Amino acid sequence: MAEDAGAGRGDAAGIEPILEARGLSQGQIVRKRFLGHSGAIIGLVVFAIIFIVAFTSVGYAGIPGWWKYSHEDVSPLVNDGAPTASFFPPAWGEHPFGQDRIGRDLFAMTMRGAQQSITIMIVIGLIAGLIGVIVGALSGYFRGWTEAILMRLTDVIIIIPALLLAAVMAQLAGRRDEGSWFASFASNNGVLAIGIFLGLISWVGLARLMRGEFLSLREREFVDAARISGASNGRIIFKHILPNAIGVLIVNVTLTMSAAILTETALSYLGVGVKAPDTSLGLLISQNQAAFATRPWLFWFPGLFIVLICLSINFIGDGLRDAFDPRQKKFNAKKAAETEAGPAPVTAFTELKDN
Amino acid sequence: MVTYIVRRLITAALILLGASFLVYLLTAASGDPLEEFRASSAPNKQQLIDARTELLQLDTPAPLRYFKWLGGAAQCLIPFANSCDLGKNIAGQPITDALGHALIQTLTLVTGATILAILIGITLGIVTALRQYSTLDYGVTFMAFLFFSLPIFWVAVLLKEFGAIGFNDFLRNPDVPIASALAIGALAGVITAVAAGGAMGRRLLTGGVAFLFVSAVLMYFSATEWFKNPGLGPVVIAIAGVGIAFAVTLLSAGLKNRKALQSALIAVGVGLVVYFVIQPLLDEATFLMIVLLAVAAVLVGLGIGFLMGGYDRGQSMRAAALTSFLVGFLILLDRYMQAWPSYFNNSRVRGRPIATIGASTPNIEGDFWILSLDSFTHLILPTLALILISLAGYTRFTRASMLEIMNMDYIRTARAKGLSERTVVMRHAFRNALIPIATIVAFDIGGLIGGAVITESVFSVRGMGFLFLDGIQHIDPNPVMGVFICVAITAMVFNLIADLAYSALDPRVRVKA
Amino acid sequence: MRFGRISKAVGVAAAAALALSACAGNSGGTTPTTAAAASKSGGSATVVEVNAFNTFNPNTADGNTDINSKISYATHSGFFYIDNKLNVVRNEKFGKMEKSSDDPLTVKYTINDGVKWSDGTPVTTADLLLQWAAFSGYYNDADSEAKTGTSYFSYAGDPTGIALTDFPELSDDGKSMTIKYSKPFADWEIALGGPGIDIPAHVLAKKAGLADAKAFVDLLKTTPRGDSKAPKAANAQLQAMAELWNTGFDSKTLPADPSLYLSNGPYIVKGVNQDQSLTMVKNKDYNWGPEAKLDEITVRYIGDSAAQVQALKNGEADIIAPQASADTVEQLKSLESQGVTVEVGNQLSYDHIDLNYSGPFAEKNVREAFMKSVPRKDIVDKIVKKLDPKAAPLDSQLFVPDQASYADSVKNNGSSAYQDVDIEGAKKLLNGATPEVRIMYNKDNPNRVDAYSLIRESATKAGFKIVDGGLGKSDWGKALGDGSYDATIFGWINSGVGVSGVPQIFKSGNDSNFNLFTDPEADKLMDELIVTTDKSKQDALITQIDKKIWASAYGLPLFQAVGVDAYSDRITGVKYMPNQTGVWWNFWEWAQK
Repeated sequence: MAEDAGAGRGDAAGIEPILEARGLSQGQIVRKRFLGHSGAIIGLVVFAIIFIVAFTSVGYAGIPGWWKYSHEDVSPLVNDGAPTASFFPPAWGEHPFGQDRIGRDLFAMTMRGAQQSITIMIVIGLIAGLIGVIVGALSGYFRGWTEAILMRLTDVIIIIPALLLAAVMAQLAGRRDEGSWFASFASNNGVLAIGIFLGLISWVGLARLMRGEFLSLREREFVDAARISGASNGRIIFKHILPNAIGVLIVNVTLTMSAAILTETALSYLGVGVKAPDTSLGLLISQNQAAFATRPWLFWFPGLFIVLICLSINFIGDGLRDAFDPRQKKFNAKKAAETEAGPAPVTAFTELKDN
Repeated sequence: MVTYIVRRLITAALILLGASFLVYLLTAASGDPLEEFRASSAPNKQQLIDARTELLQLDTPAPLRYFKWLGGAAQCLIPFANSCDLGKNIAGQPITDALGHALIQTLTLVTGATILAILIGITLGIVTALRQYSTLDYGVTFMAFLFFSLPIFWVAVLLKEFGAIGFNDFLRNPDVPIASALAIGALAGVITAVAAGGAMGRRLLTGGVAFLFVSAVLMYFSATEWFKNPGLGPVVIAIAGVGIAFAVTLLSAGLKNRKALQSALIAVGVGLVVYFVIQPLLDEATFLMIVLLAVAAVLVGLGIGFLMGGYDRGQSMRAAALTSFLVGFLILLDRYMQAWPSYFNNSRVRGRPIATIGASTPNIEGDFWILSLDSFTHLILPTLALILISLAGYTRFTRASMLEIMNMDYIRTARAKGLSERTVVMRHAFRNALIPIATIVAFDIGGLIGGAVITESVFSVRGMGFLFLDGIQHIDPNPVMGVFICVAITAMVFNLIADLAYSALDPRVRVKA
Repeated sequence: MRFGRISKAVGVAAAAALALSACAGNSGGTTPTTAAAASKSGGSATVVEVNAFNTFNPNTADGNTDINSKISYATHSGFFYIDNKLNVVRNEKFGKMEKSSDDPLTVKYTINDGVKWSDGTPVTTADLLLQWAAFSGYYNDADSEAKTGTSYFSYAGDPTGIALTDFPELSDDGKSMTIKYSKPFADWEIALGGPGIDIPAHVLAKKAGLADAKAFVDLLKTTPRGDSKAPKAANAQLQAMAELWNTGFDSKTLPADPSLYLSNGPYIVKGVNQDQSLTMVKNKDYNWGPEAKLDEITVRYIGDSAAQVQALKNGEADIIAPQASADTVEQLKSLESQGVTVEVGNQLSYDHIDLNYSGPFAEKNVREAFMKSVPRKDIVDKIVKKLDPKAAPLDSQLFVPDQASYADSVKNNGSSAYQDVDIEGAKKLLNGATPEVRIMYNKDNPNRVDAYSLIRESATKAGFKIVDGGLGKSDWGKALGDGSYDATIFGWINSGVGVSGVPQIFKSGNDSNFNLFTDPEADKLMDELIVTTDKSKQDALITQIDKKIWASAYGLPLFQAVGVDAYSDRITGVKYMPNQTGVWWNFWEWAQK
């Protein structure tokens, strides 16, 4: 589906171990580079703030939060539901983001929605990352029958439409405790179940990338060296190859995660996502899309949070990508820009001396 | 190679079989097909339930129903037998018919958008890679991520509000107040200044020129009611043509190649002459004629380049062909603009050309120009929406791929041997950066016919996505299976093509025979 | 894309015609008067519909969607139509329909001369007989349990009334037909002959290999009534015809054979653009009924409500009737400055909360206490007031405010005790108990979810422990009546207004009596009701039943669903209609300014 274009797609490039830097571990180099990436830092800060506010304000898993309303509480309409927050004078008011038609506090709902969307995102990231790594590593490292079977399995999963799975999922989540344990789990933990389900189908891209990484890394000298010194397969996979593929992994997991929020939004729009009276950001904007012209706050606040979370995750991923790519540093942007301006080949030559 | 392909095809068939079984069972399990009758108090409730049960064969267990379906679907494999039976949907329409129609709808909707998104995305990706960490890079990255983060139904509502309703209101009385003209000009100036790069002075100069130019053009348009009677005319075509000739030569051959530049300029001259000659012919235009004319334009360009020759005949030919194609496009654009007033005042259009829904104005009549303008005004909004959200993927991917290539040793070598930056970028880096992109593109084209479920829904296009969704909503496996089979087959074929293309483009990758 | 529209339409289309019967009081032969309005004839209009057209026969189980019925309505005519006050209006220019005897109930249909199909063939009793054969299921001998016999015409509507008739008496001139009911049937007036006689018998006969319509009539005459207890081998000719009737008129495009889309009404289909639009033009011959003004009506299909509003705003649509929500209505109201007219009104369905006569609610006191704690005014204020400022809680289980008897019934049915939330009263009745109540509702319907939230909020204050028993859209319907909940919030689509729907819901042991309400006296009244053909007697009976239901603390009706339509300033003559025909009911009065 074209909406998903760009989802979970990343840099297929082979990443080599970092050799050039003296006295710095890979972690230190990455950290240094990451901290130098202003977009990523801003993204990280924004995401951290959203995360903390969302999880402390309305409480989580039974722990009460500091905000006076919960997402289910109905209170009398103040100001006909319009937001009470204002800049001049700066005031928070009773319902800073406004209320929906029956008087639920939109701030509480948005925060609850952000919690749920972040939960979905993290669950998908974890599951997709885990399965993707295992399938990719096994098929790339062992090849042969293992690879053939696992890759055909990914082929099956890649062509099964996510929308259909989500519809089945939504149907299970709409049931009561009857029937299978899965149905009862799904109905009690709707959001978690959707996350798990989506996670179970979004690892395929990652697995392919990881397989590619392993295919090239297993031929490298350091792997041969480890094997000769008697390391077990497990040790080679986890201690030697995986750390070298971690860049591709992290970058693609962040991309999968930001795409996951949008997938959840799309599913909610189609009526197969999170179920009311629980809520998610996607459900909030799809429920309120008709309010766009009349009660815009119902639409803008949850929408704003989706965009903020997606943007910050994307920028974090972008920063990580740059930080993990060892060659990035060699290409000097400013110099390249100058060379481009003038056709003089001499400049290009002098630039090379920097390396 | 052949064994490889055969083996892939056989596994593909097996996968398809397994996956289709799964999809069938999932669809059957995705809900209650009798839901709409459950809470009915109609006296004939049981009768309605029985009818639906019989229609969907709910008495038969889903796995058995799958094999029945498979029996019908297998007949599609018999060539020329015309006995393809994919079942019927709940409204009694054969799925094969529904699929045929939906496919056309979807392809009209997404093809243009995908091609444009790929072209624009790759261009932006390359430009941002060449200017890594510049304002432009950050700006494009931010915009790409922003658009990527927007839910499409939201983008659609906004586009309709401002792109269609607002713009149509504007067209009713197309006056651009001087303040707005200046503001738009200033915006254009800033964008150009950011995009231009280079030293501050140079940026300011380009920005200033863009500001003056855009503002002046807007004021001129407003004064002459250009928006009501648009057109380019030979003068504008000539000026733009010369610009195109220089730009094309710069990118394809380098301005130092005088022969190439001359070929391109001659192509522009020929185009101008043709502009006058061809007008009566264009009045009788058909789609086929336009295609033939485009081919002819390219051939003429190639001919010019061939005759001009030069030390690199191929470069001249390429430059001239591309230029004459683009000039031809300008002539086409001009003809469309000539047809605009009559389209605008068409009794079915009633002065509100940009449409928010559907694929054409019902019952519109007119010549080729009117009809294709009608398709264009209907496609513009969904196309824009799809481009905006899918741009991010291509931009980011191209940028990453390009950045990696730019750090390769052979690029260093190319620079070291004194090649111009143009040659390094266009010939050495760009072509290699395209390899991974080619596979992604093949992949996307494979997924193209799956349709865009939400886009189709908000723009009221009943394509593949609608068919699929409708099937799921009615717990009716037949349409779901029809769409699934089409999408899965194309996806797998293009997947194979992508792998083959990869190995053909990149000699380091070999397929295992 | 919103769920449930199609399903709703299917349900409503079949049943709402029945529902109307209760309002069929003042139907005495008023010939429709085409208002001699100032608006000139000619011009065109574009109407938006949700679903795409797919068949010229809207009576079949597959074809019975709202859009097919509307197209059929505009292209066919019959003995009557139903106006927006839910009266049956007779079209005497088409023909006469008269009740010649009450016992046995006998109805005579006479078709006027000059009424003809668009291929020139006169409309005769053969066409009416075909409708009768299809609607009555007279020839069916299928037994769904034993899997024997044949079911010929796959009719989506309710055959119970017309199935009481014997083979009709036909006059020799083919212009009149008389049917006799074996039992009195309350809804006889709308059982046959309208609003459109839509399938031409002569076409069906020819396509099935018979010589003409006469041969068709003879065939039906000689075929005996089907008996599911003694099934016979299927009649091949009849089966061929029934098959044609069932699927032969299905088409998503304009058929090459014009006999498949013959018209005998004001308009005739001119073009069908698959899944995008359908265009009708005036039927030039037509002069047997209200005269249409517009030369051309185009129907476009848009599923999304927001897209419908924007299409109206952009001039691509002239008349829309989107699914009503507070935001849609408000958005439309903001277009009034551009000349758009918005009409809001009630629909024939209503939401209600029913209490099971078991579990915590076995005691009447608990039921009453719960009913006292339901914030009906608040629910109406928050869910429907924004759409319709006049909205008020529904106070009758059986009447809706559009009906004359509503006010009388409400006065003394006991609903006044539950006007306002009475937490103190509820607490007193509960006497310190804190019963646990599981409320079941459709989680995918925002109105139900919001009603649940409001009820939970209020009932908790009275001491109830509310358990969320909401289910997804594909499961809540199955759970109805399975005893897994104590109270349920849902909507009746068609009943409460129809006579035959009343016992279906409220009589002991019936299919749709989900909360197991039982009252021997009410049962007796309902038995009497279904054989009563007199409107005022019907109303008196229903009023008594209503009172009994309230007295037993059955549950509470909440509010009536709200519908909306809007049209641009190019068009005049559109009027709101509560039933499934919607704005189409008076399409002939639409005109372009």
